[in-house]
Amino acid sequence: MEPDLTVLASLRKAVEAMPDDVPLRVHLASLLLQAGQRDEAIRHVGAVLQRDPGNAEALALLQAPADPASGTAGSGTAGSGTAGSGTAGTGTAGTGTGPAAQAAGAPPPNEDGGPPAGPKPGRAESPADFDWTQAESELSDVLPPMFVGSEETPADSASAPAESYDAERSTLKLADVAGMNQVKQRLEAAFLAPMRNPDLRKLYGKSLRGGLLLYGPPGCGKTFIARAVAGELGARFMAVSFADIIDMFVGQSERNIHELFEIARRNAPCVLFLDEVDAIGQKRSQLRNTPMRSAVNQLLLELDDVDGGNDGVFLLAATNHPWDVDSALRRPGRFDRTLLVLPPDNAAREAIFRYHLRDRPVAGVNLGRLAKLTDGYSGADIAHICETASERALLDSINRGEARMIGQPDLEGAVGEVRPSLGAWFDTARNVALFANEGGAYDDLADYLKKRRLI
Amino acid sequence: MTELRQELARADAMLDMKRYDQACGVLARLVATEPENARAWCLLARAHLGAGRHQQAVDAANRAVTLDPADEWPHRLASNALLHTDNYPEALRAGMEARRLAPGHWQAHICVAQAALGARRLDIATAAAQQARSLAPNEPDVHFLSGKVSLAAGDLDSARAHQERALALDPAHSGAMNELGRIRLRRHDTRGAVRHFIRAARISPSESVYSRNIDVVILRTVSRMIYTFTLAALLLIWIPVIAHLGRFPFVIGLTVLGAIAVGSFAWMVLRLPPEARLLVRRTLRGRRALAALMVAIGGVALAFVAVALVPAAELPQVLPIAVVATIGARLGAFAILRGAVPKR
Repeated sequence: MEPDLTVLASLRKAVEAMPDDVPLRVHLASLLLQAGQRDEAIRHVGAVLQRDPGNAEALALLQAPADPASGTAGSGTAGSGTAGSGTAGTGTAGTGTGPAAQAAGAPPPNEDGGPPAGPKPGRAESPADFDWTQAESELSDVLPPMFVGSEETPADSASAPAESYDAERSTLKLADVAGMNQVKQRLEAAFLAPMRNPDLRKLYGKSLRGGLLLYGPPGCGKTFIARAVAGELGARFMAVSFADIIDMFVGQSERNIHELFEIARRNAPCVLFLDEVDAIGQKRSQLRNTPMRSAVNQLLLELDDVDGGNDGVFLLAATNHPWDVDSALRRPGRFDRTLLVLPPDNAAREAIFRYHLRDRPVAGVNLGRLAKLTDGYSGADIAHICETASERALLDSINRGEARMIGQPDLEGAVGEVRPSLGAWFDTARNVALFANEGGAYDDLADYLKKRRLI
Repeated sequence: MTELRQELARADAMLDMKRYDQACGVLARLVATEPENARAWCLLARAHLGAGRHQQAVDAANRAVTLDPADEWPHRLASNALLHTDNYPEALRAGMEARRLAPGHWQAHICVAQAALGARRLDIATAAAQQARSLAPNEPDVHFLSGKVSLAAGDLDSARAHQERALALDPAHSGAMNELGRIRLRRHDTRGAVRHFIRAARISPSESVYSRNIDVVILRTVSRMIYTFTLAALLLIWIPVIAHLGRFPFVIGLTVLGAIAVGSFAWMVLRLPPEARLLVRRTLRGRRALAALMVAIGGVALAFVAVALVPAAELPQVLPIAVVATIGARLGAFAILRGAVPKR
C-alpha cells in the first residue's frame, strides 16, 4: 500500500526541522521507497549513513530493489556480489574495490581471469555480506565526487620527511614529484645522469666530487625533491634538519659534524642532505663573535675530505638564503652546483591541493581552477588554504546545525583570504638578482624575476 | 639545571643563526617555566629585536632589568629596543645606566652614543664614541658609529675616515659602505652614492634599507629634474610679456627646455651602474613616478599653451594663471613623488 502523500509531506517537514533525527529519516526513506520516490529516499539514506554509518535499517533500505513493486524495503536481494565482499566490512564507502581492497586482503582473481571465488550473489544476510559496490554507486547521487576534472597523481603517496639523520631508504622517485619539469630536467642533467652512468663518467673523466645546493623560497618542496633524488639513486637518505644542527651546536659542534659525515660514509652509497645549510654554513664574516665559525671550518674540512672517504656520499643541501652561505662552501668540489626550486607550477599545485584534501570531506572541487587561482603560492600556503577552507566549512556547519562537505566556494574563499607568503623572500631575491649576481650565479633567479616583472 | 643551560644554548645558537622566530618559541617556553631567569629574558629580548617586534623586546628587556638590575646587558638591550620605538630619552637613560654598570665595556659606550644620536645630543654621542674608540680601537662597529656621529655633526671628512677605517677592519661591513654612500650624497655626488649603496646591497642583499636608499636617490633625482624643469618653465613664460619677441622664440625656448631636462636626466642615468639603471627604469615605470611626470609636464604645457595662444593684450590676465599652473604642477608632482618613497 502506497503511503499517504500528506503523511510524506509532514514527515519531510519534520526531517527539515530535525535533520539529525536518524529514525525519523529512516522512516521517511522507507515510505518514500514504498511510494516509488527512490532518488529522494536514497538521499535520506545517505544523510542517515553520514550520521550513523553502521545503521542497519538504512543499509537494508539501500539494498532494496530499484522497482518498488518487487517488495518492501529491506527484503530485496543484493546486487551482484563482488570480490572483496568478505573484507569490505572493515572498509569505508568508496574504498572497497580496486587495488586498495586487494591489498587489504581481498582474494585474488581466478586463473582464468574470471571473478574470484567468494560468496555467491544472494540476499544480504549480515553487514559482512553487504554489497558495498552497489551502495557506493547508489550513494554517488548523494555524495558528489571529491574532485572534478582531474585524475589522481602518484604524488599523493608522498611520505613525510624524516626528523632525524638516521640513514633510511627513500622510496620516492622524481616521478612522484608532480609538475616542476624544469627542475627535474636540470637535476637529471646536473646530478643524476653522471651518477647513473659510471662508465661514461669515467670515459669523460667526470669526478663525483661536489654536491648540489637546492635553493628557493620556503615551503616549495626542496626537501621533497632531495628525498626523490635519493630514491632515484637507490641510496640511503640522511636528512639533517635545522633541529639536528642546533643540537650539534649545543654540544661540541666540530666533533658532531665529523660524526655526521662518518655515519654517512659508513652507510655509502648515501645521500647526505643538509637542510637549511645557511644555518650550519653561514658566511664567516657574519660570525665574527660566535663559536660557530669553527663549525663552518669543520664542515669545509669534511666536504673536502682529503682521504677520499666521501666516495659514495652524495651531498645535497637546501637553503632559502644561498646568499648567506659562506662562499667557500660553494667552491668547486663542495656545493658547486645550484638548482633553483621555484614556487610550484600548475600541475604541482593541483597535486598539493589533492594531497591536503585527501582526508577531508570534500565534494565537487575543481582542482584545475584552484591551481590557476594560486599562481605564486607556495606549497605551505596551499596547505594553509585547505586548512582555512576546512575551518569555513566547519563554522558554517556549526551555524547551520548540519554537517556539510567542503566545496569549491570554501576553497576559493580561502584563496582570497590567504595571501602568498613569498613576498619577503622575493624582495630579497630581487636585491640578489640586481646587485649580487656575480658571475651569473643567480641568472636563473633573475630570469624568473624578469619574467614575472619583479625586476 | 643542565637542561635549562642546554635550552639557553640552543636559543643562543638559533639567535646566532638569525632564526629569531624559532628562538622566540624556545625562549617563550623557557621563560614560562623559569620566569626568574634574567638571561632567558635577555635572549628573548634579543630574539624579538631581531624579528622586529620592538615593543615586545622592550618588555622582555625591562623584565630582565627587574630581575637583575646590576647586570649591564639587560639595560643595553632595553636601550636598543627603546631606540627602535623612537623613545630616545628613555633609550639614552638605559644606555647610560649600562655604561655606569660597565664603564670598561665598549658596547655600553656605543649604546650611549647611538641613543644620544637619536636624541640629538651630539655632545654626549661624540664623547661616548671617543671613549668606545679608546677602549676598542680595532672594533669596526666602534668606527662605524663614530662615523655616524661625525656625519650628524656635519664633519664629512671625519665621517668618511671613520667609515673607511671600519671597512679596513671588516671589508664586509655593509653598514659602513652604506654610510659612505650617505656621505657622498651629502656632497651631491649622486653617482658615487648609488655605487656605495649598490655595494652595500651586494654584501647584504637581505637588508632592505640599502635598496631603499637607491630607490630614494632615484626618486630624488626625478624630483630634481621636475624642479629644474618647472623652474625654467616659470621663467620662460615671462618672455612674451617682457621681451615682446613673439611666439616663435617662445616655442623654441620650450623645446630647448624640454630637451635639456630630458637630456640631463638621461646623462645622469647613463653614468649610473647597470644595476641602478635597471632600477631607474623600474621606478619610471612605476605608477607614482609616471603620475608625477604627467602632472609636471601637464601643468607646464597648460601654462605654455595659455601664454602662447592668447593675444598679447590679454597676457597680463593670463600670466598669473600660467604661473599658478606651473607652481601647482610642481607641488603636485612633489607630493606624488613623496608617496612613492618606499617605507622602511
